[in-house]
Amino acid sequence: MRPRTGSWAVLAALWGALASAPALAQQRPEFRQSADRREVGTEDTFRLTVTITNPPDGSSLKLPQTDDFETLSKQQSTEMSFQSLGTGSSSIRRVQKWTLVMRANKAGNLVVPPSELTTSSGTIKTEPVPLTVKKGHVEDKNADRSAAAGPMRLFDPFQNFPFPQDQDDLDEQSPQNIPIPRSDSDLFLRATLDRDSVYVGEQATLSLYIFSRVDLSSVDTLSMPKLEGFWSEDVDSPSQLSAEQRVVGGVPYHAYLLKRRALFPVKPGVVKIGPAEADVTTGFLFAGRRVHRKGNELALRVRALPPAGRPPSFPAGNVGVWRLNVEPTTAQVELGQPVTVKVVVEGRGNMRSVSIPPLQVPQGLRAFDPTITDKALSSKGRMGGRRTLEYLVMPQQTGTFTLPAVEMPYFDPENERYDTARTEPVTVTVVGAAPKMAAAPGVAPEGLGKNVLAENQTLRPLRYRAAFAGAAVPLWERAFFAPLMLAPVALWLGVLGAGFARAAAKREDPVARQRKRARASRARLAAATQLQTRGESSEFFGEVEKALIGFLEARMGFSVGGLTRDELDVKMEQRGVTANRRAQVLGLLDECDLGRFAPGAGGSGAREEALRNAMELMEDWPA
Amino acid sequence: MISLLLSAVLAQAPAYYSPTEAEAVFNASNDAYAREDYAKAKEGFEKLVGHGFGSADVLYNLGTTDLAMGDLGGAVLALERARREGGPREDIEANLALARTRQLDKVVGGQTEEPFLERLALATPESASAVALLSLWSLGFLSLAARRLLPSRRRGMAVAVCALSFVFAAPVAGAVAAHVYVRRGLDEGVVLAQSLSARELPREGGKVSFEVHAGLKVLMLEESGKFVRIRLPNGLEGWTEREGVGAL
Repeated sequence: MRPRTGSWAVLAALWGALASAPALAQQRPEFRQSADRREVGTEDTFRLTVTITNPPDGSSLKLPQTDDFETLSKQQSTEMSFQSLGTGSSSIRRVQKWTLVMRANKAGNLVVPPSELTTSSGTIKTEPVPLTVKKGHVEDKNADRSAAAGPMRLFDPFQNFPFPQDQDDLDEQSPQNIPIPRSDSDLFLRATLDRDSVYVGEQATLSLYIFSRVDLSSVDTLSMPKLEGFWSEDVDSPSQLSAEQRVVGGVPYHAYLLKRRALFPVKPGVVKIGPAEADVTTGFLFAGRRVHRKGNELALRVRALPPAGRPPSFPAGNVGVWRLNVEPTTAQVELGQPVTVKVVVEGRGNMRSVSIPPLQVPQGLRAFDPTITDKALSSKGRMGGRRTLEYLVMPQQTGTFTLPAVEMPYFDPENERYDTARTEPVTVTVVGAAPKMAAAPGVAPEGLGKNVLAENQTLRPLRYRAAFAGAAVPLWERAFFAPLMLAPVALWLGVLGAGFARAAAKREDPVARQRKRARASRARLAAATQLQTRGESSEFFGEVEKALIGFLEARMGFSVGGLTRDELDVKMEQRGVTANRRAQVLGLLDECDLGRFAPGAGGSGAREEALRNAMELMEDWPA
Repeated sequence: MISLLLSAVLAQAPAYYSPTEAEAVFNASNDAYAREDYAKAKEGFEKLVGHGFGSADVLYNLGTTDLAMGDLGGAVLALERARREGGPREDIEANLALARTRQLDKVVGGQTEEPFLERLALATPESASAVALLSLWSLGFLSLAARRLLPSRRRGMAVAVCALSFVFAAPVAGAVAAHVYVRRGLDEGVVLAQSLSARELPREGGKVSFEVHAGLKVLMLEESGKFVRIRLPNGLEGWTEREGVGAL
């Protein structure tokens, strides 16, 4: 078993410490004071720390009092610690610390007078603390270093919903920089802006607080300043007072949020915001007291949108961070049925000033004016929301149509550059109407759900494409119809008539034929005239004979060629030819035979006589 | 005063619509219909019809607008006219069927469907029938003419073409004749007034035989003064005010 020597050692040490306690009272106290700044402004606070180490019992402290400074708050703390003296004895060290939050009442080189500690053995004074006080506000370099570390942020799983890249908390003015009024420092009204410079259309957030170190019962009336030059909207407007601890200039306060508004400046320049005013009741029940407080003025520097990189015809209201989306209700639709296309813009900024370009539809589709729905949202004091434009698109023909991408330029004030939100092109297929189902009203066709509406109970939609012509005149009523109908008949009749005419022309006419043959005979006789002076006599008389025979056949209508002279004579007699003329014919034929076959008989005289006789015969022949 | 008269005359003078203007009026009327501003839509469609743009599409839209407004007579009249202009289309038939369900008059004892010639005229496209008749008729006679010009060995083919042409031309001619009959011989109308009294004689004090109501399709037989003699599909006849009936 191990010996238990540890507990004995602790008891011995405690005994030694208690035994040496009287020595503590005999130690000389340390007494000093210091300020956390050497240079302050009249609007700044500083901390004066008065430290007393091992104060004697019964001593009294007199803190510095001067008209040059006012004390805004005062805190006191005590520390005790064991101190080993190295000789086996120990002592207890007691430190009393007073922390005063002070503010200079005037500018200049001022001195915080010394504090005084009065003990039984006399009065001890600290050193005075010199301070350089300047008018207004002087930056505290130590405060900058501590602020540079920044607060620790927790992971926010919803940081991008619904606002993309939403990484800002409401970055209000640091409470350290909120000036505490010289009068009414226990209860004052303060308005703050989360930033001192914004672009036109960019959000600045105005917060109105009551800072109080007294009990607050209610805020009876609150009048906000006129926010001229801004489009504004409430972000937060608590219905009940809710306090949160804030340290302003080192002084702890209860801060009550009264109103928080989003401001969107509409024009560049320095815009001033007047003070808010409130009537506040402090205390409880019958001890309540009503006071009036007036807040502070603010100024906001509003910058114009930069011209560099500005897209042509840029809508001035498109400031913020936006994204765009297009959603058709269906990718395929029947002809005659509408399709709803939603164009949704969402993001951070003043949604009501955003201008969205209209949806362009290709030929074959028709888009009606959209229905606009706005849903305002705010996250961590930043305004934003979602604007939905619902277009009713009516197909006018079948086919596949592509709705082109929608592009919306905007100015991103956080990155100080212009950007464009755009969608992807959307394809819509329009098909022909499906065959109609012959469903009786109120009876659902088999295989379909129960909520099938009888289609013949609804009015069919209008036609969205029309032929712009008058009432059509029937073809058969037009002037050209009857002639066109008659033309083939006329053509056929014409062809028929031409055929008849042609056939008629082909038929033999005896008189004409006789005349024709007589003409041929005379022509032949004329040819024989050519042979009268030249050529053989047989040829000449042969021609005269042929001419005579042809003439006789033409005149009398029978063939003469195979007849003997007697038979010819009989036939001519039967045709009523006179005896004298018959004798002339027969004589002329004999004369031709003689000229053709008798040598030496066809002289020029005989030829001339035969020709003359033939011509006389033909000329004198009765018609 | 003169300027006032001039402006009044100009305001009433029928303006000419170019096809582009007509399309703009058509689209504006459709937009008004979509906004359920039926009165404005009707006004636009009637303007188009009044300016000579009374195609089947415009008449259909006018009839549909009338139906949406509850003007049953105007709706049936415009839809029937659209049907005559463009033939029976599914949307016209559907809206006409809807109009008939709203009609007050249910004709009892008459024929349940339209006469054969009217159905034939509706079932056959008018222009196409006329073109077909013209083509077949011409082909037949051209074949006859060709027969006389062709050599004898090809005359048989010409005769065959001619025979076929006339065989096919006969029913087509029947269809065209049906159209001619419907257009010329059939004087139909639609009751426009909410209620019309049909009297035995064409005078104010004539005994009332029956009453007809808006949307009923009737046959107009003859006119006498401001009265017209109408015949219902079941054969009932009577004289009624001409103003209350719109001619198809």
